[in-house]
Amino acid sequence: MSNFLITEKHDLNTQDYLIEVEAPHVAERLRPGQFVVLMTHEKGERIPMSVQKALDGRITMFIKRLGKTSLELDDYRVGDSFYQVVGPMGNAFPIERYGTVAWCSDLVCGHAENYAYCEALSRVEGNHVVSIQTFPTKEDVYGEEELRSVSHEYHITTIDGSYGERGHYIDVLRGLLETRDIDVALGCGHIDKLKEMADLTREHGVKAYSVLRQIMVDATGMCGACRVFIDGQMKLTCIDGPLFDAHKVNFEEVINRLGMFKKPEAAAKEAYLQAREGP
Amino acid sequence: MEKARVPMREQPVEERIHNFDEVPLGYSEEEAVEEASRCLRCAKPPCMEHCPVLVDVRKFVQEIAEHRFRDAYATLKASNPIPSIAGRVCPQEHQCEGACTLGRVGEPINIGKLESFIGDWAMENNVGEPMMIEERPEKVAVIGSGPSGISCSVDLRKHGYRVTVYEALHKPGGVLQYGIPEFRLPKQTVDAELRYLEKLGVDINLNRIVGLNISFDEILEGYDAVFVCTGAGAPRFMRIPGEELNGVYSANEFLIRTNLMKAYRFPDEYDTPILVGDKVAVIGAGNVALDAARCALRYGAETHLLYRRTRNEAPARAEEFEHAIQEGVIFRELVNPTRIRGRAGWVESLDMVRMVLGDPDASGRRRPLPFKGSEFNERFDTVIEAIGTMPNRLFLERAEGLEVNRWGGIKVDDSLQASIPSVFAGGDSISGGATVIQALGEGRAAARSIHRHLTGRLG
Repeated sequence: MSNFLITEKHDLNTQDYLIEVEAPHVAERLRPGQFVVLMTHEKGERIPMSVQKALDGRITMFIKRLGKTSLELDDYRVGDSFYQVVGPMGNAFPIERYGTVAWCSDLVCGHAENYAYCEALSRVEGNHVVSIQTFPTKEDVYGEEELRSVSHEYHITTIDGSYGERGHYIDVLRGLLETRDIDVALGCGHIDKLKEMADLTREHGVKAYSVLRQIMVDATGMCGACRVFIDGQMKLTCIDGPLFDAHKVNFEEVINRLGMFKKPEAAAKEAYLQAREGP
Repeated sequence: MEKARVPMREQPVEERIHNFDEVPLGYSEEEAVEEASRCLRCAKPPCMEHCPVLVDVRKFVQEIAEHRFRDAYATLKASNPIPSIAGRVCPQEHQCEGACTLGRVGEPINIGKLESFIGDWAMENNVGEPMMIEERPEKVAVIGSGPSGISCSVDLRKHGYRVTVYEALHKPGGVLQYGIPEFRLPKQTVDAELRYLEKLGVDINLNRIVGLNISFDEILEGYDAVFVCTGAGAPRFMRIPGEELNGVYSANEFLIRTNLMKAYRFPDEYDTPILVGDKVAVIGAGNVALDAARCALRYGAETHLLYRRTRNEAPARAEEFEHAIQEGVIFRELVNPTRIRGRAGWVESLDMVRMVLGDPDASGRRRPLPFKGSEFNERFDTVIEAIGTMPNRLFLERAEGLEVNRWGGIKVDDSLQASIPSVFAGGDSISGGATVIQALGEGRAAARSIHRHLTGRLG
């Protein structure tokens, strides 16, 4: 079975790359807000992944060269196949009229979600979709044209100011909140920035949602690894999320739990790199 | 004086605590024959009466005694589609072996080990059953590939129905695959038993999550009948402070990482990690707790099993308890954790209280009560909660029209028919956590009901 064939793959910048995979039954059903679980090979991890596009039986994902699996993934070429792409997982975000929506991202998963949501939200009459992307520097930028084409208003920032506005999406969002009526803000990416975004929108009394990317194993509600506390209630990111009311998330706990497997993950990456270099 | 049980050879303790290989080594042919020969051949065999799937124990044991292994296999298979698995995981001491007449004066026949011996023998010798399936046009969907899904699929397929199994995970077997560790139930055995389903022509679809990538409505429309056996795969937490800390696992997570994802072979071979501290607390005393504790021990931890009642009330199988204690699991009864304390986001210690047993509760077991003033604190690095599981919301929340019972399981009548007439349910998804053999029995009962439903006559 030539399932989960890789049909496209290219670098987005020096660390991030795009991968497009054939997964018809996933692509057919996936809605913005939902994610997939990817297994590169039979002995691999079950990795939750954001999806940028689901079109014509294929899904597009953005991946960062980070841990062992993402490095290993990098060795796959167009024409190779993955062991499994499972999904869609999680809950779809209701695509309806919200008014002015600000969508913020500063990391691969976030940029993918940013596109998926904006593409759908901008097609609803009465929505004014503002998309904001942040990159470290000019060389890292990608997705600008695509996001411009699916949003009514687009902002791009670089931390060093080498492209677009200088600063972080937080700065742009602050400006918008101070000068305009924003009805809802959504974000995905670095967790500390999502926390800042939650604090900022709370100050302005604006509804906000965060896409959480907690560590998962089965992603079907069985293991409880991705538990988060929303207003003190235990929720599972995989089946109750991954989108949560940003003002109810306990970010300290979320941030702490994200770090649980840092040590073994670093060890696995090290071992993989050594093995790849050979004796 | 009756002859004593033929002892089961086991991996030596000092070796097995460093590996995940199966602990009992299994009977040889000679040993099996000798053990089977001890059977008294009771006129009214109590062993069979105490089997949830009514295996003709006396018959298959006699066949082993007469070295007629092929016949013994056929006898077993007539009631139990997965003898290699059931022989390993059934609580025999409460069933066949507990009822064995020999047990009154000495040791009962080792029925469990004889059962797995025959199952394994058939696998090794590639013994199949003669099978003539008369095809029927009706289609049945089975949601879940655990024990009840397996037995229901087998029986329905033998009736000639076109059976399609939907499994959410990337490997079939449900709890047999993700829950029960290798040292108790080798996955090779699970895989081999599941190949039997494929041989019968049961279609198993992996990675299909009903409610997410195929809707319950599509299933209802596409099939003449549906058997829901989605298990009790969701973890129950104690809901004490500190469960958000790193180092706290549900037993489900700990076992899924270990059994399904093979974290004990990380990072050399498998990619899913696990973190186990020097001193581990496992809370609970059921089979899942024992499994988690024995895994923790194999990861090299000093492992404490904390139970609020005593050994007498503990639901785990006798053999598991014996093995766990031999291996060095420290069993501590009448203690209950009340709070997990942490430092810098990681587990540091447990607040606990000593318990006393009061009057019997609804389960008939004496109710544990906190002993005032006995609170204490103890250092632990890892906490594994194994206090039970419940049906997974993922499916139930997305199965419109399917009614649930008081404690969240699927509501069924005596024939296992659910609130939607073409839907039947069984296993842990209705009872909330029982044994493999009970689930097997319910799968078979559901198959009978489905057959009756589809043919309008007794099956």
